[in-house]
This record gives sequence, C-alpha cells and structure tokens, in this order.
Amino acid sequence: MGAAPRPVEPRDAVLGVTPRMALEPATVDEAAEAMRALAADRLAVAFVGGATDLDLGAPPTRLDAVLHTRRLDRIREHAPSDQIVAVEAGMTLAELQRRLAPHHQRLAIDPPLPERATVGGIVAANAFGPRRTRYGPIRDLVIGITVVRADGVIARGGGKVVKNVAGFDLPRLFCGSLGTLGLVAEVVFRLHPLPEASATAVFEGLAGSDVQETIPVLRELAVEPTAVAALAAGGRFTLAVRFEGFAPGVSAQVERTLARAGGGDRLEGVEEAALWARHDALRAGGNVRAKATFAPAALVRVLDALAPLRGALPGEGFVVHPTLGIALLAGNLGVPAVVARAVASARAALGPLGNGSLVLSAAPAELRALADVWGPEPGGIEVMRRLKRELDPEARLAPGRFVGGI
Amino acid sequence: MAEVVGPANVITDAAGLLVYEADGLTHGRTRPTIVVLPASTDEVVRIVAIAREAKVPLVPRGAGTGLSGGARPVDGGAVVSLARMRRILEIDPANGWIRVEPGVVNLDVTRAVAGAGMYYAPDPSSQGVCSIGGNVAENSGGAHCLKYGFTTNHVLAARVVLSDGAVVDLGGPAADAPGYDLLAALVGSEGLVGIVTEVTLRLLPKPEITRTFFATFPSTDEAGNAVSGIIGAGILPAAIEMMDRLAIEAAKAATGLDWPDVGAALLMDADGPKGEVEHVAARAIEIARAAGALEIRVPRDEAERVLMWKGRKSAFAAVGRISPSYLVEDGVIPRSEIARVLREIERMAREVGLRVANVFHAGDGNLHPLVLYDARNPGEEERAATLGGEILRLCIRSGGSITGEHGVGAEKVQYMAEQFGKDDLETMARVRCAFDGIALMNPGKVFPTPRLCGEKPGPYRPHPAEVAGLAERW
Repeated sequence: MGAAPRPVEPRDAVLGVTPRMALEPATVDEAAEAMRALAADRLAVAFVGGATDLDLGAPPTRLDAVLHTRRLDRIREHAPSDQIVAVEAGMTLAELQRRLAPHHQRLAIDPPLPERATVGGIVAANAFGPRRTRYGPIRDLVIGITVVRADGVIARGGGKVVKNVAGFDLPRLFCGSLGTLGLVAEVVFRLHPLPEASATAVFEGLAGSDVQETIPVLRELAVEPTAVAALAAGGRFTLAVRFEGFAPGVSAQVERTLARAGGGDRLEGVEEAALWARHDALRAGGNVRAKATFAPAALVRVLDALAPLRGALPGEGFVVHPTLGIALLAGNLGVPAVVARAVASARAALGPLGNGSLVLSAAPAELRALADVWGPEPGGIEVMRRLKRELDPEARLAPGRFVGGI
Repeated sequence: MAEVVGPANVITDAAGLLVYEADGLTHGRTRPTIVVLPASTDEVVRIVAIAREAKVPLVPRGAGTGLSGGARPVDGGAVVSLARMRRILEIDPANGWIRVEPGVVNLDVTRAVAGAGMYYAPDPSSQGVCSIGGNVAENSGGAHCLKYGFTTNHVLAARVVLSDGAVVDLGGPAADAPGYDLLAALVGSEGLVGIVTEVTLRLLPKPEITRTFFATFPSTDEAGNAVSGIIGAGILPAAIEMMDRLAIEAAKAATGLDWPDVGAALLMDADGPKGEVEHVAARAIEIARAAGALEIRVPRDEAERVLMWKGRKSAFAAVGRISPSYLVEDGVIPRSEIARVLREIERMAREVGLRVANVFHAGDGNLHPLVLYDARNPGEEERAATLGGEILRLCIRSGGSITGEHGVGAEKVQYMAEQFGKDDLETMARVRCAFDGIALMNPGKVFPTPRLCGEKPGPYRPHPAEVAGLAERW
C-alpha cells in the first residue's frame, strides 16, 4: 500500500514538532485511506506540500503524523480551450507552469519559490505574489476542489466551470485554511493566457508618500498593471509597475506611465526578471517574516507604524503592494522582546486602518513565546471554531496551528 | 414583531402578503405568516430572537428579483424584508470602498460613486432594481463578470446576524483578514447562514474606453466558434454575449432595433486602456470574420452602443412578445461545448414540440435557455418544466453546473444531488451548521436532503432533539 508510513526524517517536523510517522500517498484514494486509518486511531496529522509556507501558524499542540502531498503530482485534466486545469495538490507551481506553457497558458499566481511551492500548499496557505494586483488572490483562481476530510471522506465543491453558484463555496472556503479543515487533495484552477509581451516601468528613490500617490495616479492614468510593488532600498523605495498582454497595449501603458512620472526606466527581458527576482528575495529572507494589511490610502501612516518592527529585524527586506494594501517584511530576529513590542504596536496602528492586521508568517520560538503569530482574534471567531468542530470534531488536523488556537 | 419594527412595518393582511408569496420565479408560491421590515441591525437581532424562541423559520428577502425561488417563503415562516435598510453608510473613494445597507439597489452604488470616476462592477440584468443584500446571497454575476468577477470578488466585509442572535463582522475591508474566509461561505449562501445587515464593496475605476461590436452569424455554431477563437487568442473581453434566432427576433420586437434575421449574434465589449482595447477589439473582429461572421456592426456613438446593450438586456422580457409564457433556465457548460449543447437543446425542444430561445453569457458558458410555452394549452407548462430540467441535466453531463448566477433556491434543489455526491452535500451542510445550528434561516432551500446539525454522518438515526420533540427534520 502506497500510503504505508515511512521512517520519520528531520524534514517531517512541522513548526518544530516531530511526528511519529510520515505518509506519502500516491493517489487521492490512498490519501483518503490513510486519513481513515488515522481517524480510526484518533491520530493528529498535518499536511505538507513543498514546505515553503510551513513556518506559518503556531506549532501544533499534538502531531502524530505528517502527510506529504509530494506524490500527488498529476494533472488530472487540462482543457486548454476552456482555460481550466484540474491538478493534484502536490504538483509544484513551476512544473504546472511548464506543462501549461506549450498551450500558451499559465496559472496567474506567482508566490516565491515556485520550484518547491505546490499548488495545494499555495491554496492552503493563501500564498501569492505581485501579480495578485491584477489577478487577485488564489481564491479568485480556484473554481473547484477535492478535499479529504478528517474522517477520510472525500468531498468536492465547485466544479470545472468558471461561473458556478451551485452549493456552498467550498473551494474558496479552503483557501488559507492551512490544512485545519481537511486535506486539499486536488484543485481545479481557472487559467489565463500567457502574455505576448511584458514590460515594467521602474522609478527609483521614491519616498513613502510618493508610493502612496501611486494609487490615485494609476487610477487617473486608467492603466491596468498586472503587478505594482515598492521595493525598499535604503530609506527610499523602488517602484515597479508591470504591464503584460498584447505588445501594443503593453507599450502604450508603459509609455503613458513613464510620461506621467516624467522619468523612470522601462525594463524588459532579463533586466525585468532580475528586478522581480529581487522583489521575491526581499520578502523571503531571514527567520522572521510578516504580512501587514491595511487601507491602501493610509500607506504613509502604515510605514510609520511598521518602522519600529523593520528596525528590530537585522538584514531586513521590505516590499509594499500599494494598490492591494499589503506590506511584506522579512529579516532576522533581533531582541525578541523588542520585536514583540514592535509587533504589538504595529497591530494597534493597523487595526483602525480598514481592520488591518499583521500576521507573523515565520517566527522563531523565542518570538512566538512573546507574540501570537496571528494577532487578535478576528470577527467571526466563534463561527470559525464551530466550522472547525463541524469538519474536524476531534481536532486532529494540525490542532492549535490556526487562528485563535484552532 | 410589531413591537420591534412598529406596526406600520409588519404585514399580515392577505392582500399585503400576496406580494411576498414568490420572488422573480413566479410559478410556485407560498404565503408567509408575516412579513417584517426592520430598519437596523438591532431590529434584525430582536426579530431573530423572537423567531428563534417561537421556532418560526425566517426567509431573508431583498428586492425579490431572484429567479430560483430563494426568497420564496417557507410554510409557517416569516419573511424578513431588508427593503427599508437602504442607506449608503460610507463612501471611501481613496481606498475604493463603499459600505452600504443590504437594501441599497445595485445600480445606486455606481450612481453614488460615479462622480469620483468609479463604479461597482457586478451588473446583473436586474441591476436597476435588485439589492446588494440579494446580490450577496446569490453571488450575482452579470454580463461583465467574465473580466471582473462575481459578487464574491467584490465583497470586502460584511456584518451578519446569525440565528443565535450573534452579530458578526466578517472580513476586512483590508486584505486577508486572519482566519477562515467566512465571506466565501457567506456570499452565495442563498440566505441559509444569516441575515446580512451591512456590506463593504470594492469599487473600481471606470475603464478609460469601451469598444463594442455586434456580429451576426448564420448559426450558433459559427458564433460559438468565434467565442472560442476570441478567448483562445488570449483576449479577455469585458463581456461577450450570444443571442440565437428567436432571442434576436424577440429583442427586435421589443426595442425596434434594425437587427437582421440571422441564426445568431454576438455582442462584445472590450474595455480598459485605449491602446490595449483598440488592439483587442480589432483582433476580435478579425477572429469573428474568420469564424464566418455575416456582418459586423460597430456603434457610431455611445447612444448607439447603449441601444445595442438595451437590445441584449431586454431580451428576457422581450421573449414575452413572441410567447405567452416562458421559463428562464440558468446552466453552465464548458465554453468549448457551446455549439454542441445548443444543437442538443434545439433537438430536445423539437422532440417535445416546444421552442427555446437562447440569450446568454457566452464567454463563461453561462446559458440562459428560455423555454417558450403557452400555459393555456393543457400539459404544456409541465412539458416546459420537464424540458428545463433536462437542459440542466445536459449541463451537468457536459461537465458544467445547474446554475451560474441565479442560485439553487427552491427551484433546483432536486438537481443538486445530480451535480454533487452525498458526501459533497453533507460537507456543505456542515458549513451551514457552523453558522446556523438550528436551521432557522431559509430552511428547505439549496440542500435536497435534510440534515440536523451535530448529527453523525451515516444511516439515519433520530437526533436527540427530534426524539425530545424539539425539532423536526427540515
């Protein structure tokens, strides 16, 4: 049986907790069989894809097994003319993109480390990259899902068509649920055409207030960028505005953006790729990472509120997605108490800005001891607890990892 | 309840209740016991408390334009109309947000922010009358959701009153509120999880330009191929709508448009930045020609463009000009199956001696077959309903869905078990239980098989509450 446990290795640990067994099912049915076996023994389990977001959340309070999705790596169906793909959870994003490229299609999501990040993990962790500016978070691209519940039952939601309102929206509900409601086993995605051209307008040496102005300026220009990001560089920012699509449209939009700014550079090809790789690196380094969300028009105040935290993380990297109202910080843990205080003050400042939040997406144990990685309990927490009880009544799926100790 | 909302805001007389017996789906009516019209979240909380105490199910209702019977009353139940909660609470153009009460009319959101150069994207055909609360319940779409998404892509936060009386604030409006994405469960839940009393919506800047063209084809085969060709070329139109011969005939009769008598027509919008849009529109026209378009018309000015869209948007009602009665269906198929499925629908209709007009969102394969019939002919209404059901089954067999935007409501409950397995439905029902553990809200809709919350899956065993006589299976 493919789902038989294999010996546990160090890489099986989840947030520092080492399980007693590791499972690597090769099919969804095997995964369901494994889940039924775990249910019979009342064992706690966490799911692992490419481990790129494995630092997210609190350590599980109990962990008997990890279930790796690595061998669930098949494309179940690709209908190029309908622009949909059904793919098992363990396929990496990079591999999926390689398989779609000959059909001039892509999954329009671009989190860091695509060679490792799996599609199931991206869904479970709500991972994203700068193209979220145009294409939305993963919830906007997921149209169908197959999950394996805590009791081993296989359930499906959504379907294979983009437009579908039959039944409750399980595909979106599982986005960002971090393996605490069930195993994301297979996902149906909406695809987009690979753009014929891409170019990025780049502006150096901007102040925070200039970055905040990006929003009304882009609106006034009536352009449709696929990505907008401000990369911290010294005390200033490098603003990158990417356009993708048909060549004439891309050119017209880049030129219009540059003309409005009265300066800046147009990057394409290798140079453009290097800039966006720099963006990814800035948000991915260190052992402390954080995601701040806020009302986009309040960016200047947000930058002030995040300054103490940035200052407390040596080797800090920082990017802002101004139109989304999201900032990503990465750095190394300095003095834990100082970082924890800075996290608390940032949260206090972000809350009133459109119910903003700050989540520590990676934090060493010393920091976790002083700061809840999720922050204050969100609205609807009681409904969330009931939802968890409905789908995982024995609290066996990564117990304690999620918001509010779920 | 009169004490809560004032005697003027409850309806109990037969004449007054008549209006609330059905929503936009008028065959199938149920008289409610009472209709209550609260004016605030607090009043909704108190109504829910009374209903919970008295075990009276509640059916939330917006403008009553729904086409699946989602707001049809349930036996012995009360209707909670949100029509009086129609204030715009906060407009924040800088952040691109607006906070409204559920009774606000869809188009009034756009009207409120048009001065700031913004608009609210979801545009169901009923947008001049349908309410935001109803849109949230149904996850409403519209012609332009091909590019801009559905209601679920535009709801940033919501305040909801649950059956246990709790008032919960879900979502942002800032991105990625920590926790489960409960808004995902709420939007499209068809009134089964609670009563929405406030919604924060995303606003978008108005596109710089819109280019529209109208193309005619010998048949839906060529039109379907044109749609596939356009999308396949990497073009994402703002909208691409198809009408078949009967729908064109009806639209002409209603609006006086000088459209030719042809087998099919497409109406396409491309919108966005000028350079991009002009390129895309020109390419799409080329593709339509190559696919066999007979004629391409580009509106000379905005007035003519509006008229073309009026023809399309009036097509549903216009069918009344060519048939005494008709049923509106709403199914989805993979886009590449359009031509085949339309031929199959035509064959099925011919077999039972009925006509079907098709006017629909071709870009996302969302069919709206209109089954024409004459209720005066004995048995014809039943045959029409049967044909409608068979069309839904055809959608399921083709890999699609029984509803793209109208919802399951009361009408399509029986088909849910054909599209989904029992484990799928049972999992969805558990989600519902997390919000409403006593099935107070809109019971009997969406799910074909009753399930009491807290019930262990498996063969039927009476729930302890049933044994104690405290609950009935819904």
